[in-house]
Formats: sequence, structure tokens, C-alpha cells
Amino acid sequence: MNLSTRMIVVLTAVGLLSGSFLAIVGQVTKERIIFNKRHEIEMAALKVVPGASSVKMIYEERDFAVFEDRDEAGNLLGYALQAAGTGFQDKIVLEIGVNAELTTILGLTIIEQKETPGLGAKITSEEDFLRYWQNRDCTKELTLRKPPVEDPGALASNEVNAITGATISSRAVLNIVNEAIKKARQLQTEGKLSGIN
Amino acid sequence: MNLLIIFISAVLINNFVFYYFLGLCPYLGVSRKIGPSISMGMAVTFVLSLTAVSSWMINHWILIPFGLDYLQIVSFILVIASLVQLVEMFIRKISPPLYQAMGIYLPLITTNCVIMGLALLAALKNYNFLETVVFGVSAGIGFTLAIVLMAAIREQLELADVPRPLRGAAIALITAGIISLAFMGFSGIIK
Amino acid sequence: MAQKTIRQEFFKGLWDENPVTRQLLGLCSVLAVSNAVINGIAMGLAVTFVLVFSALLVSLIRKIVPNQVRIASFIVIIASFVTIADRVLAAYFPQLSKAMGPYVPLIVVNCIILGRAEAFASKNKVGRAIIDALGMSAGYVLTLLLMGFIRELLGNRTFLGAQILGRWFEPWVVMLLPPGAFIMLGLIIAVSNLIDFKIKERQKQP
Repeated sequence: MNLSTRMIVVLTAVGLLSGSFLAIVGQVTKERIIFNKRHEIEMAALKVVPGASSVKMIYEERDFAVFEDRDEAGNLLGYALQAAGTGFQDKIVLEIGVNAELTTILGLTIIEQKETPGLGAKITSEEDFLRYWQNRDCTKELTLRKPPVEDPGALASNEVNAITGATISSRAVLNIVNEAIKKARQLQTEGKLSGIN
Repeated sequence: MNLLIIFISAVLINNFVFYYFLGLCPYLGVSRKIGPSISMGMAVTFVLSLTAVSSWMINHWILIPFGLDYLQIVSFILVIASLVQLVEMFIRKISPPLYQAMGIYLPLITTNCVIMGLALLAALKNYNFLETVVFGVSAGIGFTLAIVLMAAIREQLELADVPRPLRGAAIALITAGIISLAFMGFSGIIK
Repeated sequence: MAQKTIRQEFFKGLWDENPVTRQLLGLCSVLAVSNAVINGIAMGLAVTFVLVFSALLVSLIRKIVPNQVRIASFIVIIASFVTIADRVLAAYFPQLSKAMGPYVPLIVVNCIILGRAEAFASKNKVGRAIIDALGMSAGYVLTLLLMGFIRELLGNRTFLGAQILGRWFEPWVVMLLPPGAFIMLGLIIAVSNLIDFKIKERQKQP
């Protein structure tokens, strides 16, 4: 076997063997990987609308998706909006729960963030940030309360607390949420969200 | 607007060297002088642009449509290796002076984390074609900025009395750390 | 060329030829995933897996592969094992996979792997190649864990997620960020050099 032939044979063999092996591994792991991705998103969508037991994606575009949240009886409880935007350091991906009329924010959870640990990363903290997002009035734009107040009752109905020392991260979350609600409202007027049934 | 954000991000805020830690391997060996660093930076930027284009095409025209995403790593690295080979041969033929200037760095670039890193990050961030290209070029500019900065400082360090244990890689890394700290000041530029 | 004993073949990877502190290879990954010990463990296992198995395969086929296609074949082999490690991680440890981002696929350009394949596995018998790979991996993992331990402790007060230092200690957040990684690694290399100089000095004195 001369050199050229040998080169081709060896390369082809290596290629085919790796290819087949990878195909097997790829298949075996494919289901779980898809499940993992979906699971994380669904968990977030369920979490932000209290009482929801099932979610269904009804709209998707880049950096924005809408889920229907229903309870066990099948009633529409509200929508979970998954939205992404630029944070202080990198991209922030979050899920915001709103009621079916798009008037009240039910909850917020952060899915992905790379903010500064100990400062901007506090946006994931229930205690410091997230709990102030419950029952916010979103018929008008949400605003930031600086300096933050301890008692949620002291906030105006469309205000949320900024985190001390992490204003930019807090504002980034705020902007993402305002944008998301705007988009959802747009979809509502276009009739793309299913009505209450 | 989005493209501008990607550009500023890749050059300053999420600089490939100071934030993603990519491109250190050749840097530590090659660039102790500013001149070669600029050449290396140019070579890398060139390869990055080509890689951005080809990795996007492979991902979106072959891998995803046929459900072959598990072949991403293998296909990317093979394409990068071949690309660098081709580029080297091409430059050698059409412009020997250019080859003298930056061609010698090309083989080093193949196993440079920067190139593979770009292909992977662009795929991870789900950029469209134009965004990927801008990302690639910006990453190259960011990389060039980084290694030229460090070469400039290292040129000065050659003259300084560095304690023995720190000489070489150690002081280079600490320098990189300080510059990285400075670059963190760029965060929050984009609102 | 004097043949090393099996023991020497393994232990050289830990100190004399430590891939990170001596050979300055694989730095990208060490800096990136050393912000928490658990990430370091996952990365360490992945690198060990890829290094050992590619060393094995490369050594097995070293006599059949023609010189010109050597690098290409090595790359395909290494890339395949990296893919396996990456897919398994994504499937069964999604949190870790996400935390490490693109750095597991980046093992494919980790200079340690190709470097060892080229410099050693392709020129030695399977047994030795595996021992060498294990030694290099051990050196890599140890350095990685050391960095991870220090960075996580000082930056987050924790070890493997469990709080160790009390509230009295104000965490050095910079340790969790890129600058901290660079400086820490620089210091570790400096200390390792220092220890090496002292050992060499002592050896000179009869």
C-alpha cells in the first residue's frame, strides 16, 4: 500500500470510527439534553405564576417567549414571559409572571446571570430583590426605588427596590421586564394571546 | 445598535483575553515585544473573521438542519485547522512580505483557544450571520488590544528588577490580572 | 535517552513537568473554572478522561498512522473524546455544564492534550502513555483544585458550597472574578518556582 493510499485509508477509518461512535453517544444523550433544557425553562415558568401546574409555550422569538400558565382544572391563571437583555457584565435571562389581563406582576425569577457576585448577583436573592416584585402594578411602566426600603408596603404599586451598590444590574432587570410587558401587550392587541376561557 | 453593543462588548467589557481567559498560550511565549504582537493580532483577527463565517455556515447549514449538533466540536476544530493551513499557503503564495510579517504565527493559531472559543461562543449566544461576523472581528480587535498592551508592559518589565521566582510567566499573569481589573471598569458602559 | 521508571513517569507530571505551573499549558481552563471547587472537580475529571483515552488510542495506532496525517488524526480522536465528555456532562449534570459554559468543549484546544499526544503518546507504548497521561492529569487536577480551593474560600467563604468562614470575613469578591484568577495563578507559579529554587539549592550543597 503506497503512502497516499495509506493516508487516505487511515484518515477515512479514523473519521468513520469517530463519527459512528459519536453518533451513538449523541443519540444516547440527546433526549436527556433536550429534556434538561426544557425542564429548566418550564420550572421557571411554573414558579412565577403561583398555583400553576402546567405551562405551554405559545409564542417564541429571539430573547423573548410567552408561556400560558394553567392550573389543574385547566383555567388560565396568567402568562410567564421569558425575556433576556444586557446586564452589567453579560446577558441576563429572566422569567416574569403576569396575570391574564397583563395588569399585575405575580412573580419574578432570574434564569441566567453573570453579574458581580455579592453585588449585582443579588438580583437572584429572594430576600434582597425578588420578593419586592410580587403584586406589582404593571399597567404603567415600573420604576426603581432608590434607596431601597425594607417594607414592601412602603413601595408605590409600580415601584421595585433597587439593590444598594448594584443599581445598574437592578435597572437592567427593570428594563428587561418593562420591555417584556410591552411586547406581551402588543401581542395581546394583535390577538396572538389566547383569551380567558 | 445591537451590533455596536456586540463590538464594545467583545473589545472592552467581555474582552477575550481579560474576561474569557482565551489566547494566553501563545501570548506567554510569543509577545514580549510590541511589533510581533501587532502582527500576531492581525493574523488572529483575520483568522477569526474567516472562522466566524465558516462556523456559522457549518452550524446553520449542516449541523442544525440535520440534527448533528454533537458533531459541533469535531467539525469546528477540523475546519479551523484546515482554514489556517489554507490561509498560510495562500498568503505565502500571493504576498511573501505579508507572510514574513505574520505568516509564521499561523500554525500557532490553530490550537489557540481564541479561535475555537469564538466559534463556540458565537454558537452558544445564537448570533445570526451578521452578528457572528461582527463578533469575530471585534474579538480579534479585543485580542490585539490585549496582547499589545501586555507586550508594551512586558517590554518595560524587562528593564525592571523582578524577583527571581516571579520572572517569566508569573509576573506576566499578575500583569494580566491588573489589566483585567482595569478593564472591569468598562462594565456598565452599555445600558 | 534514559528510560524513566514507571513511578518517575507518573510523578513527573505532579511537579517537575507539571503541565500548568511548569509547562504553562492549559491555562485558559484553569483560570476559567477555578472559581469553585466543584467546577474544578468536574473539569479535572473531564480532562483526565480525555487525556487518558486519547493517549491510549494515539499510542495504539502510532505505528499505523503515516506522519503527514498524524496531527489531523490526533485532533479527530481528541475532539471525539471531548465531545463525549461534554455531552455526558450536559445530559447528566446540567447545572455544572452550564456553569462551565464553553470551557469543556475548549478542552479540545487545551495544549496539554495535543502536546502530550504529540510529544509522548505517539512515541511510546500504551502502558507508558497511560501512566504519563495519568501523571499529567494529576498535576493538572491538583493545581486546579488548589486554585479552586483558595478562590472559593476567599471569594465566597465556602468550600464545595458549604460555608466555612463566618460572617466576620468580608469576602474578597475579586477572587471570583477574572483578575483574581490571573493574580492567583501568577502567585502559585511564583511560589512553585520559589520552592523549586530552594530544592535545587539544597541539592547543590553536599
